[in-house]
Amino acid sequence: MMMITFYIVGILAAGSAWWLIRLSQRYQINWIPLTGLAIGIAMILFCIAWSVGSALEGVPRAAAMGVVFFGFPGIVLLTLIGRYVTRSVK
Amino acid sequence: MNKKTNQSRRNFFKLGIAGAGIAVAAAGGAFVFNRMEGKEHDDMPNPIDKKLFKPFEQKNAVTMRAGGGFDPELHKMLQGFEKQPYRNVPGYTQLDRALVEGGWSTSNYMAPMQAYGQPNSGALSWEQHHLHDTQYKFGSKQEATAAIKHAALLYGALRAGICRNDPRFNYREMYDIKREKSMTWDDFPFKPKTVIVVVCEMNYECMATAPAWTESGTVAMAYSDLVKTTYSLSVFLQSLGYQAVPSVNGEGINPAYAIMAGLGEGARNGAVIIPEYGCRVRIGKVYTDFDFVEYDKPRSYGVMSFCRHCKKCAMSCPSQAISMDDEPGYHPTWSKNPDDWFKNQIGIYKFYSNSEKCFRFWIQNDGDCGICIASCPYNKPAFWHHRLVDASNVIAPGPVHTIMREFDTLFGYGHVNDPAKVKRWWKYGPPKGKLYGSKA
Repeated sequence: MMMITFYIVGILAAGSAWWLIRLSQRYQINWIPLTGLAIGIAMILFCIAWSVGSALEGVPRAAAMGVVFFGFPGIVLLTLIGRYVTRSVK
Repeated sequence: MNKKTNQSRRNFFKLGIAGAGIAVAAAGGAFVFNRMEGKEHDDMPNPIDKKLFKPFEQKNAVTMRAGGGFDPELHKMLQGFEKQPYRNVPGYTQLDRALVEGGWSTSNYMAPMQAYGQPNSGALSWEQHHLHDTQYKFGSKQEATAAIKHAALLYGALRAGICRNDPRFNYREMYDIKREKSMTWDDFPFKPKTVIVVVCEMNYECMATAPAWTESGTVAMAYSDLVKTTYSLSVFLQSLGYQAVPSVNGEGINPAYAIMAGLGEGARNGAVIIPEYGCRVRIGKVYTDFDFVEYDKPRSYGVMSFCRHCKKCAMSCPSQAISMDDEPGYHPTWSKNPDDWFKNQIGIYKFYSNSEKCFRFWIQNDGDCGICIASCPYNKPAFWHHRLVDASNVIAPGPVHTIMREFDTLFGYGHVNDPAKVKRWWKYGPPKGKLYGSKA
């Protein structure tokens, strides 16, 4: 199950990298917000892997805390930088 | 200078920065992996004060004081141990007691009283019954070392290490409870040169039920595994023509030998923390006169630094037997009276526990406790995110370890005295197949 999770996370990571490259080519985004987006996506993917691992281990509290400490900040970062990029592109 | 040249210079600069970043990341990764392998030492990593230090008398160990009768009060308490009536509480029922008795059965049958430190008992006999006349000659020390370690793993060891026999960590005098007589190393059948140290795992889910009787099931099973493993390894060596004596709790101090064999590092609670398992292991050894081996070196893994700041085992201990000192020392601080210090092997720089307080809780609990092992942040099953935390631990500075301890609790780990864990154990048991499991 953990191997399947890593497989899916790997596909998502590759897809995210492709999306970021396309985004930077299309809208000429500066490397700083681009790095911020990458970090946000990395945090969310890390959160998925952490939470699934914790759930499989039988410690759902660790899975939930993983969402709080890794997933939530990743979403916040993605949202803030995404809005900045959207504004600067307009 | 035209725009095109500037652009290419800028790109070259960016490429250089990116390359340097990758190199730094790779170097950092290599550094962390190297630190996780442990820093090698030529001798015991813990400093020794030669004025205070001397080999320990086995009679002073709490298990021998109780089992051998040297402390009448402890001996009397021991007679009622694991004999209290069943309780209507998860973890303290006939089912849980049966798990313990089943676990002890092999050890009790093959080597009676070895848990108290009884030397020369049953399968752990000093007799060389299987000694062959011809000695097998290995082609190289590397070949011999590999053969011994692979045999140990086959016989059930989780890990194996090899170190020299060290009189500092052998009992100065041993005591034979059954025959009621002291024994010295002059009585030992040969002059040991090498000690092969093995560790056997205790089950994570079962240990998590601490301090319920259920936890004692995995402790007992690990002792039985050690008796079997060390006995088999000693027969292996004797069949090669070399003298060998298996030992679990007798003859010498297991944590010291495990450290000398490079298997782990000493912890605050007096046990040995080994990478990936914490102190959720039990230690056994085989003394032999075979010395054509590559000896392992003691290693430190940042455990002492973590233990300084963590103190989770000490805070969790129900009898406050574990030291809450900020810094280790050369003698116990649980008593200001030096006449009490005979109960510990003093003169080595470590945290000193009050083993008698610990033992008294066992009596009250009617089962060995295990809370310090279960609560330790190093005690984790084989999941990737724990290895990531282990890796970050080797590079984190001291005060960060206090934060890591708090996060360990916040994330739901190390919680003990929980009947739900007993119910979970009986419902799901140990992990099945490759869901997750131990690996050497």
